[in-house]
Amino acid sequence: MFRFVIQSLILIFSYGNFIYSQSCDLILKGEITDLHDNSLLIGAFVSIQGTNFFSQTDLDGSYKIKGLCPGKYNLVISHPKCISINKKLNIKQSRVYNLELEHHINELDEIIVTDSKISKLRKSIQEVSLNISDINSYGSNTLVEALNYIPGASILKTGNSIGKPIIHGMYGSRVGIITDDFRQYDQQWGPDHAPNIDFDSFDIIQLIKGAAALKYGGDTSAGSIILSSKRKKLKDTLFGKSSINIESNGRGGKFSSRLEKNYSNGFYINGNFTGKRYGDFNTPNHILSNSGFKEANFSIKLGKDLINKGWNLKYSSYNLEPGILKSSHIGNVQDLFYALNSNEPSIINDFTYNIEAPKQLAKHQKLTLRYFKSFENNTKLELGYNFQNNKRKEFDIRRGGRTEIPVVDLLLKTHTLNVSLSGIDIKNWDFELGINGFFQDNFSTPDTGVKRLIPDYIKFETGIYFLGNFQKNNSFLWEWGLRLDHVSYDSKKYYYKSVWNERNYNILFQGFETGQDFANQILTNPKFNYLNLSAQTGVSLNISNELKLKMSYILSQRAPNPSELFSDGLHHAMAAIEYGSLSIEPETSHKVLFSFSKNDKKYNWSLEPYISKTFGYIFIEPTGLKQTIRGAFPVWSYDSTEAFLTGIDINSSISINRRLMFDVGASYTYAQDVINKNPIILIPPLNTFQKLKFAPLKGKWSLEFTHQTSAKQNRFPNSNFIFDYIEDGKLVSETVDISDSPRGFQKLDAIFSILIGNKNNIRSNLRLIIQNITNSDYRDYLNRMRFYSSEIGRNFQIQLNFNY
Amino acid sequence: MKNFLKKASLLYLPLLTILIYSCSKDDPDGINEEEFISNVVISVTSPDGSLQTIDWDLSETNMETINLKANSNYSVGLSFENRSDPTDIEDVTLEIIDEADEHQVFFEFADVSVDVTSANNDTKVGSRGVLLKSVWNASSTGSGIVRVYLIHQPTNFNATNREGFGGFNDVSIDIPVSITD
Repeated sequence: MFRFVIQSLILIFSYGNFIYSQSCDLILKGEITDLHDNSLLIGAFVSIQGTNFFSQTDLDGSYKIKGLCPGKYNLVISHPKCISINKKLNIKQSRVYNLELEHHINELDEIIVTDSKISKLRKSIQEVSLNISDINSYGSNTLVEALNYIPGASILKTGNSIGKPIIHGMYGSRVGIITDDFRQYDQQWGPDHAPNIDFDSFDIIQLIKGAAALKYGGDTSAGSIILSSKRKKLKDTLFGKSSINIESNGRGGKFSSRLEKNYSNGFYINGNFTGKRYGDFNTPNHILSNSGFKEANFSIKLGKDLINKGWNLKYSSYNLEPGILKSSHIGNVQDLFYALNSNEPSIINDFTYNIEAPKQLAKHQKLTLRYFKSFENNTKLELGYNFQNNKRKEFDIRRGGRTEIPVVDLLLKTHTLNVSLSGIDIKNWDFELGINGFFQDNFSTPDTGVKRLIPDYIKFETGIYFLGNFQKNNSFLWEWGLRLDHVSYDSKKYYYKSVWNERNYNILFQGFETGQDFANQILTNPKFNYLNLSAQTGVSLNISNELKLKMSYILSQRAPNPSELFSDGLHHAMAAIEYGSLSIEPETSHKVLFSFSKNDKKYNWSLEPYISKTFGYIFIEPTGLKQTIRGAFPVWSYDSTEAFLTGIDINSSISINRRLMFDVGASYTYAQDVINKNPIILIPPLNTFQKLKFAPLKGKWSLEFTHQTSAKQNRFPNSNFIFDYIEDGKLVSETVDISDSPRGFQKLDAIFSILIGNKNNIRSNLRLIIQNITNSDYRDYLNRMRFYSSEIGRNFQIQLNFNY
Repeated sequence: MKNFLKKASLLYLPLLTILIYSCSKDDPDGINEEEFISNVVISVTSPDGSLQTIDWDLSETNMETINLKANSNYSVGLSFENRSDPTDIEDVTLEIIDEADEHQVFFEFADVSVDVTSANNDTKVGSRGVLLKSVWNASSTGSGIVRVYLIHQPTNFNATNREGFGGFNDVSIDIPVSITD
């Protein structure tokens, strides 16, 4: 039985200077082999559409086409027993392009192409991509920890197991996370809500600093993080990997495993499992009581990938139960004041694996169905449906045996539908267009016995986008994109009558009143509609062979999130009362990004300055004190202002010799509230990293040191407040300083890696990792638990990886 | 290509249908906040049997003053109530008595000096009185305030100032105190 399959692999790049001379002397050559047994295929026909260029494979299975000019070509590969295949190719220099074919007798159209490269999302914006396996090698255990190694990205932490990505000083709803081509919808508005994603089940992380991923949305002005899996190889194979990680700090570990079976007809099935269990972590000086966490995730995916069509179905389940530092549970500002003035957490118990209140429970289930079909003219139609079911519970220490009842209990269901058409080529233009929409239902259980933090609502969003790029030759590319989104909220919320009236909502939003009452509360039905426009345009220029310049302008608009609109209550860990505002309008952000990069064999660097201005920037600020039965609390209210952000990310990598590599990176962000003339809160301070890696030429081991520094953030707004307490029979007034940033810090890690076995197709590798070697005691400005405790101390990790 | 678009829009229709049918949200149930304390009631009984009751309410700042005479024993009773639903008033004090092992009442005075001891009819855990019922004795005249705390899960039950107790405040209110001869 013969089948034809084509696999393309870019093997060699030759560095010729003739790219810019338009001389037409390029050569395209390669071999065509049978996928199953690697035997050479004779008599396959390779031609270039629209030209007279062609070649037929000889007895060695090789073809050769001479005299090509640089440019984009459509390759047509055919064989007497197979349907013709089109393959798009951008030829910049002479190259080898090997193909694998497979014969089908009955299923002539089932021909598969796999690309070893993940395609770039936008070409005029510098994009960072990381392999998940590389991230694991640093001993990172959460998705966001991995971002530490990307200049311009940082982490907003709540303790050590909850982290949110920050890109260019923005986080939360301003950062989009995309998995398997769909936006992630969890309760992302919360600064203490980690993205509910198991990153071990993906292969690649791509990061774009700006709302340029218009395909997925136009509201993420900070940027997007895209997680994807590598495309399947199509041989009959069974492979997998497993990794075991044991850590001293937290006395826990992680186990993850993946198994994948591929069939030559393009069908594949794979499964992933990740489990993590940690007890209390410790700082250099003491145990962080109730800081352990449990995580268990799995996913299963099956599908069929062919050259001109394919489908896949994936189900994934994510379960995280993190403890929240016990001493961060405080009753009022007085408790906060004592915590700030103490060097140690107020509660230090013996080490335990038990996780008690305060804690969180997050469950995220996802079902994705995707289908694509390619047509002969290279256009590709993609359809996708996705359902996400997000459950979130937060537990607090409560009276009357209610600790087992969550104080927050939310269920968020999101249905998304995507339709896109890409690869529409008209001369030098390439277009993509699509439409996506989601329907979201948020339900807040009344069984908590606590006022809802976020009300019940239905959110509906539809977006259409149109992207295009123009590429005349290889040294110049212009691209642009437009997107229009309609967002609507239909919410049902109880307000205390006193709050509703105090905020003048009884006059401003009288139309939202339903006339229904419950005790001293009023039921309202706020409805909002927003129309948001986003756009991107940019160019990519090759100044010389190695030097590249990219420039991009991005416009993005974001509708307020539920927390910005509806928040209404006490936020325990911050001892603050937070109020949303129904009057908040969408924010509009303009951002210009530049990227200069140089790539040669020995020395690579990139410089990425950016500047942005956001009108109607939504932020939360202290607006006074409110008397409660627990004492006076500072009130924080959402408002909008004009924000100016600028900064620069620098990255460089030097091969000192063939054994020694040195990487250096730095990033700085300046952020100012232009109207109130105040710095913006929680902006990452100047930070740097350096990495020195030594790997002997024929050795099986490597040694790596990484050094991170973070300066003191001197630019922070003043959110201090005054409270009084009784000392020695006198009433004393004190300032509660919650604004000041901790001093700068540095952290040194080392990684030793050795190949311990490579037999019977099983590759095993052992890593020894020491984090925070110097056991330095520091606090991080971007950790919301910094008021209560230091960061974790020295950690030894042993990591065993098997690939089979 | 028009054909694809037609197909695409056809596939989009089911979503729109879902939306049209489910566009309005059911009315959510109202929540009567549990374990919430809206009122602190302090009853001060003088040696001659006269009773002063102070009802500290959340909705307004209560400025009523506790009047004491120096060097006399007053019986002070505390109760905590949740009156957020006027038709269903809840006595939270009962919960505190149930969980006496993790609660402590503490009175901290400013500008006046008052000695507080656990009353005979106080809720006790071992020898420790929770101070829901206490005896006050002022040693000198003057006016000041008393800060009434209900501390949940204190780390130390025998402290002499608020910081020493640890734990967290479920209640912290100020009431003026006036002491005469």
